[in-house]
Amino acid sequence: MMSFAKQFWALLRMNLAGIPARLGLVCTIVVGVTCAVGVLVSMLALGVGARREAMGNASPNRAILTSVDAPSPMQSSIGKDTVPQILNLPGIRRNAQGKPIVVFQVTVFVQARSKIDRGQLGFPLIGMTPGLTDYEPELHMTAGRLFNPGLHELIASNKCVRQYEDFGVGARRHLRGGDWTVVGNFDLASTVCLVFGDGETILSAFGRNTYNQANLMLQSPAAFAQVANTLEANPTLHLKVQHEAEIFEQNMRQINGILNFVSYFVGTIMALAATIGAANSLYAIVDSRRRELATLRAVGFNGAPIIASIVAESILLAVPGALVGAFVAWLLFNGLLASPLGASFHMAVTPSLVLLGLCWALGIGAIAALLPAVRAARVPVTVALRAT
Amino acid sequence: MKYFPLIWSGIWRKPGRTVLILLQVTVAFALFGVLQGMKMGVDHAVAETRADLLFVGPPDFGGAPLPLAYLDRIRSLPGMKDVSFADGFLGTYQKPSQAVFALAIPQADMWLTAMPSLFQILPKDLEALGKTRDGALITPDIGKKYGWHVGDRIPLTSNTLKTDGSGTWTFQIVGTVTDHEPGEAGLIAINYAYLDEARAFNKGTVRNFYAIISDPQRAAQMSDTIDRMFANSSHETKTASFRENAQQQMRSIGDLNFLIRSIISAVLVALLFSITTMMMQTMRERTAEFAVLKTLGFNGRAIFLLVVTEGLVVCVLAALMGLALATGVFPYAAKFIPGLSMPLAVIGLGLIGAVVVALITASLPASRAARLHVVDALAGR
Repeated sequence: MMSFAKQFWALLRMNLAGIPARLGLVCTIVVGVTCAVGVLVSMLALGVGARREAMGNASPNRAILTSVDAPSPMQSSIGKDTVPQILNLPGIRRNAQGKPIVVFQVTVFVQARSKIDRGQLGFPLIGMTPGLTDYEPELHMTAGRLFNPGLHELIASNKCVRQYEDFGVGARRHLRGGDWTVVGNFDLASTVCLVFGDGETILSAFGRNTYNQANLMLQSPAAFAQVANTLEANPTLHLKVQHEAEIFEQNMRQINGILNFVSYFVGTIMALAATIGAANSLYAIVDSRRRELATLRAVGFNGAPIIASIVAESILLAVPGALVGAFVAWLLFNGLLASPLGASFHMAVTPSLVLLGLCWALGIGAIAALLPAVRAARVPVTVALRAT
Repeated sequence: MKYFPLIWSGIWRKPGRTVLILLQVTVAFALFGVLQGMKMGVDHAVAETRADLLFVGPPDFGGAPLPLAYLDRIRSLPGMKDVSFADGFLGTYQKPSQAVFALAIPQADMWLTAMPSLFQILPKDLEALGKTRDGALITPDIGKKYGWHVGDRIPLTSNTLKTDGSGTWTFQIVGTVTDHEPGEAGLIAINYAYLDEARAFNKGTVRNFYAIISDPQRAAQMSDTIDRMFANSSHETKTASFRENAQQQMRSIGDLNFLIRSIISAVLVALLFSITTMMMQTMRERTAEFAVLKTLGFNGRAIFLLVVTEGLVVCVLAALMGLALATGVFPYAAKFIPGLSMPLAVIGLGLIGAVVVALITASLPASRAARLHVVDALAGR
């Protein structure tokens, strides 16, 4: 065992000392890994960025009620007749006036004109009953004021202002039932443009009579179980409760699924190409060192340390490649505003992504080195020494 | 041509190395073909969608349905060729997770020909549906999924209530329909007349109208005309051609050109670097061979061409394999984006790319080989 370690170190130092003489081949390994990891990390930065912005605001104190059989809040309906029963649920926090913090929400999709190419895109117009600021204390007004109940007034997130036309304070929008005025802009973590208005006004303007969901502020995260039990005990209410994070997760699932599939698909192909390129370079390195390797075998070095030293060399070359690739990805894409699939968010290159890139690099280095290393260990001593 | 055996044997001098280079170039061009092909293929598919087929629906998603009485008013507009409509409801089969969308259609010829790439009904199936009031046409996919056959009776549960207050709808399967529209819910086609008679609410309304106009150039104008006709009524409309809707959908996918360009550049950089070093290595190993060729009377130019041609053959061969692989992916992708196919332009672009890659990577080693001094090379200096 001792001799394995000693031989391994001696061989590895010899391999590394030879790098300047084989700069071209060595660089091929580094550049291949750089490109593969760089692409993988930048693609995954899309999904990570989307997730970070979507979940950024989720709080365990918030819970959402929808009808039992609705696959998503969009298909759910909560009639006004259940409002008093929902307000009486246990475990709901009360505001300064002593009223339970419950906000009923209706969502309709309407069209807006994109700022970039003036094409039409849908955005969610969310009607909220009074209590929005109690329920979302994170909502931070950056301009103007909140909407007033009963009036055709809207507030739009700054994401809308960036993406679409006519969402600045004072802008007028023609929607069902006449002209609406944007009276405020706000910041709130979300991957999509958010527009809020008064719940009752939106219900009547769009000819609806049921809400989609009821948003509850709980006294504590533990109160969730209380609400769930009460709903279970009253099946006639036809309601289910979910954590806010669960709903966000649901909304993210599709976009995240697509982004991750594409990322890993492209990343795998790039890694495959990098592995093949690295294997080819290592074969060439081994071939050019046939005499040297045969001599080492002749003076008593074993096959195992030779294999290990070449695999180690390959991994040591892949690691800086991965770091450079992750760095380039960070330089080019971190914080870049991306707007795929109707969402809009900043890409995020995080330490865990860099770590993932490093793991891929280890894999590429190890797999690429395996066959060339075995060939190196099997160099027939006599033939190789005779070779010119 | 007579030099081909010489080039061929040069390529296969080290079979292992050549196979790996071929594989690497193949993989790189397969990736290029998929990425560039998707991008251009989607643009092409959008441009192919019908501009003369207008979709008339409520202005907000999931908004109140439109009165059926609009049908005659739209039909009477000048420049209108044919108008039809559709309604439907979302139901579930047996379990809440097994969603089925029932598309309710009238007996109209438009369903036979209007959207062959999306949705197609054969004349005999439409006729069979017309004969059975509670009949249904099923897609082959949903038939396989739930084991349904023609003649079966299938119960669906829905929030859309019948006049008797129940939400259970039973249909008799009478034929099939082909549906290429991507979606998680399976689809069946039913009679609009039956739906409208049996449902408790929203009688006499439809989800949307389909209007075919005679002049596709006037799509935007006709859309405005229709929307203006119903503006300020209790049921306003939003009209757009299928092509405009497809363009809008593509816009919502977003501008990923920068990302795609970055990936393709990264692939190219890695490839150029890798192939150049491999060819340089090969040149070093073959110094003596080139010296012999020179001794035999090959001049520098001939050797340069020899080496560049080797590179060209390898790169173009591998690029062809890669692009063929990429083309093989497209039939699967077409399930999600109807009308998607590999554009020929991408194949052409890929081949040009392969030639450029070969010229760039081979020229440095080739010029070195061409400038060899015979005496030094043979002496191993």
